[in-house]
Order: sequence, then structure tokens, then C-alpha cells
Amino acid sequence: MTATQAAPLTREAPAQAPRRHPGLGAALRFEVRKLRAQYRAWAVLLGAVLAPIPIVVIIHGQSRPPKDTLFGRFATDNGFALTLLVLGFATQWLLPLLTAIVAGDVFASEDQHGTWKTVLTRSTSRARIFWAKTLTAGGFAVLLLVLLAASTIVSSLLIVGSQPLIGLSGQTIAAGTALKLVTASWASTLAPTLGFTCLAILLSVWSRNPAVGIAAPVVLGMVMGLVGGLGGIEAIRSLLLTTPFEAWHGLLTQPRFTGPLVDGLLVCGAWSVLSLGAAFLMHRRRDITGG
Amino acid sequence: MRRTILVLVVALAAILGLGTAVIAVGGGASNVTRARLEKSLPTVFANTYVNQAHILGRHVTARSLHAKAMCDKHGPDVADVGPGGDWVCLMSWTDPQVPMPPEGYGKFELNVHSNDCFTAGGPSKLTGFLTITDTRGKEVTNPLFEFDGCFDPGADNTPTGVFFPSLFAVTSTTLTRDAKGGTSLKVNCGTGAHGCAGTVVASDGNVNLGSMPYRLKEESTGTLRLPARLPPGTKEVSFEVRPTTGAGPSGPATIPVERP
Amino acid sequence: MLPSCWVPTFRRMTNPLAVDVIGVTKSFGSICAVDDISVQVAAGEVYGVLGPNGAGKTTLLRMLFGLIRPDTGTIRVFDKTWDEAGVGVLEGVAGFIESPKFYPYLTGRQNLEGLTLLDGGIRPGLLEEILDVVDLADRIDRKVGGYSYGMRQRLGVAASLLREPMLLVLDEPANGLDPAGIRDMRALVKRLAGSGLTVLLSSHDMDEVEEICDNVTILDRGAVAFHGTIAELRTMAPDPGHVLSTTDDERALVIGAHHPTVTVTRDPEAALVVTGPRTEVSAYVAALVRADVDLLGFTATRTPLEALFFMLTDTTSANGSGRHTDRLQEALR
Repeated sequence: MTATQAAPLTREAPAQAPRRHPGLGAALRFEVRKLRAQYRAWAVLLGAVLAPIPIVVIIHGQSRPPKDTLFGRFATDNGFALTLLVLGFATQWLLPLLTAIVAGDVFASEDQHGTWKTVLTRSTSRARIFWAKTLTAGGFAVLLLVLLAASTIVSSLLIVGSQPLIGLSGQTIAAGTALKLVTASWASTLAPTLGFTCLAILLSVWSRNPAVGIAAPVVLGMVMGLVGGLGGIEAIRSLLLTTPFEAWHGLLTQPRFTGPLVDGLLVCGAWSVLSLGAAFLMHRRRDITGG
Repeated sequence: MRRTILVLVVALAAILGLGTAVIAVGGGASNVTRARLEKSLPTVFANTYVNQAHILGRHVTARSLHAKAMCDKHGPDVADVGPGGDWVCLMSWTDPQVPMPPEGYGKFELNVHSNDCFTAGGPSKLTGFLTITDTRGKEVTNPLFEFDGCFDPGADNTPTGVFFPSLFAVTSTTLTRDAKGGTSLKVNCGTGAHGCAGTVVASDGNVNLGSMPYRLKEESTGTLRLPARLPPGTKEVSFEVRPTTGAGPSGPATIPVERP
Repeated sequence: MLPSCWVPTFRRMTNPLAVDVIGVTKSFGSICAVDDISVQVAAGEVYGVLGPNGAGKTTLLRMLFGLIRPDTGTIRVFDKTWDEAGVGVLEGVAGFIESPKFYPYLTGRQNLEGLTLLDGGIRPGLLEEILDVVDLADRIDRKVGGYSYGMRQRLGVAASLLREPMLLVLDEPANGLDPAGIRDMRALVKRLAGSGLTVLLSSHDMDEVEEICDNVTILDRGAVAFHGTIAELRTMAPDPGHVLSTTDDERALVIGAHHPTVTVTRDPEAALVVTGPRTEVSAYVAALVRADVDLLGFTATRTPLEALFFMLTDTTSANGSGRHTDRLQEALR
């Protein structure tokens, strides 16, 4: 360090310390600034916008349609069917991964950089910091889903077309209604996606390791998906976080049924509340010995 | 890191252990039930049938088909509950252009998944093959050849009361003389209600070779022994089925005798 | 480093005690890091917490900052406890624990601006002033990932000053710095202390503490070994010994034999070492000069306080952590 010559600074001496009460908004702004500065967040969002395009083109060009997935048999020449095929695929492990990339890292990265001791010694409480990070992760998940859905729907309709859709009861659905139902189907995956966001937050807080926070929710999601495919365990299947990802089927039958959608909402709510509750308690009580 | 992996492994093991316990205790509870499939399949089939008709330039309504189905999972000894690739549904419908076979139904095979969706395929004689020709002469995929459907897991589970008789069939293609000069006939009884029972009368054109009673459960095979010895020089034997329970083939089955 | 006219804002304190630690204990598993420690820091003074590595200084400061929960005891900062006031306890308090850490993918400025968001804002212009003070104005827009250790340390000081604190808590502030850095850091701390700020400083370097602090607590293995002023510490300190370099060592030894209250010995490196009470050593040196033995060098082997420090913290007692004041008296007997 070298001595510097600075202009004379005049200063008043206030009588007491300035009382400043930073709100949740300020903490949220800081979290968003940190997220904006990270390449991986932009990469994920950009991927969500751009990746569906080549996928749509490739599937449209297939001579033999992927019959093993719902709507696969119509996907090569029906835009709505193709959108739903991509939706079915995305819900298997892609959505948990994309949300975990941010949510699984948002707490653990502070451990990685040793910055807990920096941020927890300002004027913002641990609770506020927890909610700022949670809201950031949740907001990212919403944005991600909106971009992915919009990109898939638009590129499918533009590249393949908007022919009437054959529904899950064999019925023919006109293009206008099909668009609404397809959009609603994508929207219905928000609840389980946010459930995975909360699960990733729990794993991030508990493990203090970004790799675990990102990979573990994906692995758990895949295991839950496999378990859900087994027969004879309906009691467990209805409690899994991956089951609500398929609740949109009821929107495309005739008549429509919404039982799984309602049940799914409750299950996701329970997973989210329990995960966040446990994460909050761990975060608040933790002794920061490193950094 | 090791602690993390250990805890995750323990958590996974706990989930799997819990699952096994639930299976053991719950006895295979599932939303996939016979009643729900019997209500869902005819609806999906009828709508898909209408699509096919539209492609072929015909006009059919779903209601006019009066489709009804009886479903069974893997034979009489397995409970008709739970997902699997071994669901068989017997379905009948009314279409003047596509008459039902003598037993009154077509046999469809369903692969039902735990997410309450299924893929179904039926007899090509009734549904058509992989492709059909549309009104403009183009070969297009036949929607009825293989189709998907999903049903409401919360739908009414009361039985539909639809029953179709099992179909009894002779499956031997040749008859071999055994050491004692007699012979036996392989038969099977297909999916349906109540199994198959009746009598098979064998004759050699002129000579009555005896009658063999049979009683088989649905989805089973059996062997019937000719009561009498085959006269030497018999070239073929004709079997006439007289069913008392279940359906039988429309005419007698003539089976050649293997030359020694 | 500091422009002489720069004076940090000074606030009147209402309560005489800035920090009041009462009977605080913390164990991690079977290791007792802090064992029933009590420390009082009065407003406006510069207080040192001294001890070897593992003594519990950092754990104590982390508890003050709310990073670690004490098992028992209370910590009051400006008469507020964590249970009552939550993060409000840190109003007017700033500092850093061990080496300050920032987000490497953000610039220095972005890090500081983010921290001011968490503080609820700063008065306009303060950031630029403080950047001048810590001499980071020209590199503040580079990513922190590329900063040197010294730059990060200065950024940590800047982050603390942004809070316009009444109490500055520094954990080993000169740790890891080069000699120039150490000198500048000490000058800064002295300047801040001189302006009325309360400073709580932890260190394992006796020199540093001796130079700047008014009062000191010495910790050893989690417990208090000494509380008191630097002056008191000095009176207890044994004379560490001085290395003497003369033009005629043989005569110096002979003269030393005539002064029974001092011990003059020759150490393995053929230098003379004089030990004894200060006044007697001075008398001996005067005698050497009168006898025409010229002094070429007369240096302390270590400061008196360093000697005392090592004595207080190096003796291992047979019955565990024991009573440290007893050991002190034992050593001085």
C-alpha cells in the first residue's frame, strides 16, 4: 500500500448511528445481481429458448415417430403433439436439473466462496437472506419454464403446423382449444418444478456443496420417476414429487378430469413447505465456522 | 462429502424399503382397475374408429358403435388390478361394414402403465393393418392399428357387468399316433368369462371315433385324448366342438394324421 | 496511507461498554473452543485479544458477530444481545473474521455495492471517499477473483468502513500481509482508534498489540490467561535479555562478574547475553562505558511482553486447562 494524497474531506459528525432498515427487496436485488453475473444462469435461460428449435426440427424430420411416449405417434406431423412430446420428455429429468442449477447452488455457493461471514455480518437477518435466495431461485424457475414452454410451443407450431390434435380419448381437438390445453399443460408443471426448487434448496443448505445441490435433486427425481412406474404401490406413488408432472393428461381426455391436478398441487405444496421449513431451520441454527 | 453420499444412499434405501413394505402390506393397490379400463377403452376406441372412418371417407358416430369391453389381467388367477403389459380386453361394437366374428368380439392387447395411460392394439382383421389408403389414394398411418388412451384414476370403479364368453379352439396342426395307436389333441381356451366346457366329437368322415368332454379355465391350454384307437390308414380326423360354456369354432376342424 | 485530514465519522456512545462478554462457552463436539470467557471492552478504547492459534480468539469474535451460537453465556454489544435484537446487534459494528472473502466473479465495486444493499444504503459519496482511503480506487472495477491478498484485505477494510461503525472488530488484520502492508494496516488502525472508534483487535503478534492497544486479554486454549492494561502486563514481564556486542567481550565478562545482580553469559554464537532487572542492566552498561568498552550493539532478544506471552501460553500444566492466573504467579515467583 502506498500513501495517497487525497483532497481534503470535510465531514459532519452526526449525533448517533444512522438507523437503516434494509428490506427484503434490497437483499433480493443483491441476489439477482449475483445471479446475473453468473454465466451458467444465462446459459440455462438461453438454452431454454434455443434448444427446443433443433429438437423440433429433428423430430419433425423423423421417418418413424417415437411411439413409446404419449403423443409421440403424432409428433412428426402435428405441432401440438410435438409440444406435448417435448413436455413429457422435459418432465423426466430436465426440469429438475434446470431449476437445480440455480436453486442447488444459491446457498452452497456461499460456502464454496466462504462468503457467509461477509453477508451475515451486515444489517440483514439470516431469515431475510434465506427468503431473498429462495425467491430468486423460485423466480428463476418460473422464468425458465415460461421461456421453455413458449419456445417449444412457438417453434412446434411454426415448424410443424397447427393441425387439429388427437386427444387422449381419441377425440379430435380443434387448433384453438388445443393451444389453450397445451399451454395449460405446460403451466401445470410449474407446481412440481417449484417443488424441485425447494428440494434443491434443502439439499443446497444441508450439503453446503454446489455439486450435491445440483446433482442430488436430479438423481432423486429419476429414482422417484422409476419408483412411480412400478406397479402396486399407489400409496407411495401419490406422494412422489414426480407424479404431478403427469397430471396434465387429464386436460386432454374427454371428459377432462382434474383430480390428479388438484392432488398434485397439494403434494407439491407439502414437499415445498417441508423442504423450505427444514432448510430454514438448518440455515438459521448453523454455526459458520469456515470461510 | 462422504457423509453426504452416505445419507443420500440411506435415504434412497429407506424409500425403496418403504416401497417394498407398502407392496407387501397393501397387496398391490393401484388406480388401474378392470372397471376403469372397461369404461375407458370403448370410449377411446370409438373416437379413434371415427377418425379412421373419416380417413376412409365414411361417416360413423362414436355412439352408433355401442362399443363395450371386458378386460382381464393375465388370466383367471391374477387379480385384475395394476399396470402391466398383460391386459387383454375383449371388445365388441356395431358397424355394418365390419361384422364381428362368431364369438362376438375382437381381442385387444393392452399395455397399461402406472400413470393411468395405455396403448392398445387389436385384431387386424377388424381394425385394419398398419397403414390404410385414404380417399385421395395416399397411404397413411391407420389410427386404429395401435392407439393410446388415458383414463381418470378417480373414475367410478363399479363393475360394468360386461361379459364375453371364452373361445375354445383346437390348436393341433397334425395328429401323431402314439405307441398304443391312439392320439391326442391340443386345445386352448381363450380370455372370457367362465372358461370353456363342452364335448368334442371326433370322426373319421364315416366312423365316429368317440367324444371327449372338456372343461378348461379361461386363458389355459389342455390336451384331450381320443377315447378310441385310430383305425389304421386314417388320413384325417374331423373334430366337432359342441360347447356348453363358452364359444366354439364356427365349423368342425379337420386335422391330418401324420404319416408314419 | 490515510490523508491526515480524513477523519471517520464519530458518534457519541450512550453506554460505557461497547462489548460485554459474560461467561461464554462453546464446544465443538468434544473440543472446548471457548471455556467460560468474560471480556469487557469500554467505548472508545482499543482492546486486544491475544493468544496462539487455537486459543479461541476467532471463535469468540465469530460469536460476537452472530456467526456461531455460544453454548452458554451472553454477549452484549452496545447493550444489545442477539436474542433480543437479532441482527440489530450489529448496528454500528463492522469488521472481518480471518481473511475477508468476496464474490470472485463480481468486481470490487459490485461486491461493495451489494454489501451496502444489505446494509440498507450509505450516504452519497462515502464509497468514493473510502476507496481513496484504502487506495483501491483504480482497481475497484476489476473482478475480485484477480485481486492479490493485500487488495482483498483492503477491500475488507473498505467494506467495514462503509458501515460507518462505532465498533471495529478485526481478526488478525495484518495476517498474510507483506511488511509494507503490515505497517500500513497498523497505521490505519491507529488512526481509526485515535479518532474515537472502539477497536477490538485479535492477534497472535505481541508487537502489534503492544503498539496499539490500551487493554488486552490473553487467551490460551479457550480460557482467559490474563486481563488488564498493557502497562500492567509490562510490569509483570520478565526481562527477556539483551544481546550485547562490544569491542572487548572478555573485559565485558569480567566487569559483569563484578555486578552480581546481572548475568552476563556467552551464547553458542559467541555473542554476549545480559539478563537482569532493567535498572541493574543500565548500571552495568554505564560501567562498561566508563571502562572504555565501546558498545557496538545492544538489542533485546524479544520484547518483554513477548516473553511474558510465551510464558503464559506455552506452559502445559499437568492438570489440564487449570487456573491460568495461578500459573502466572507461579512463573513469576
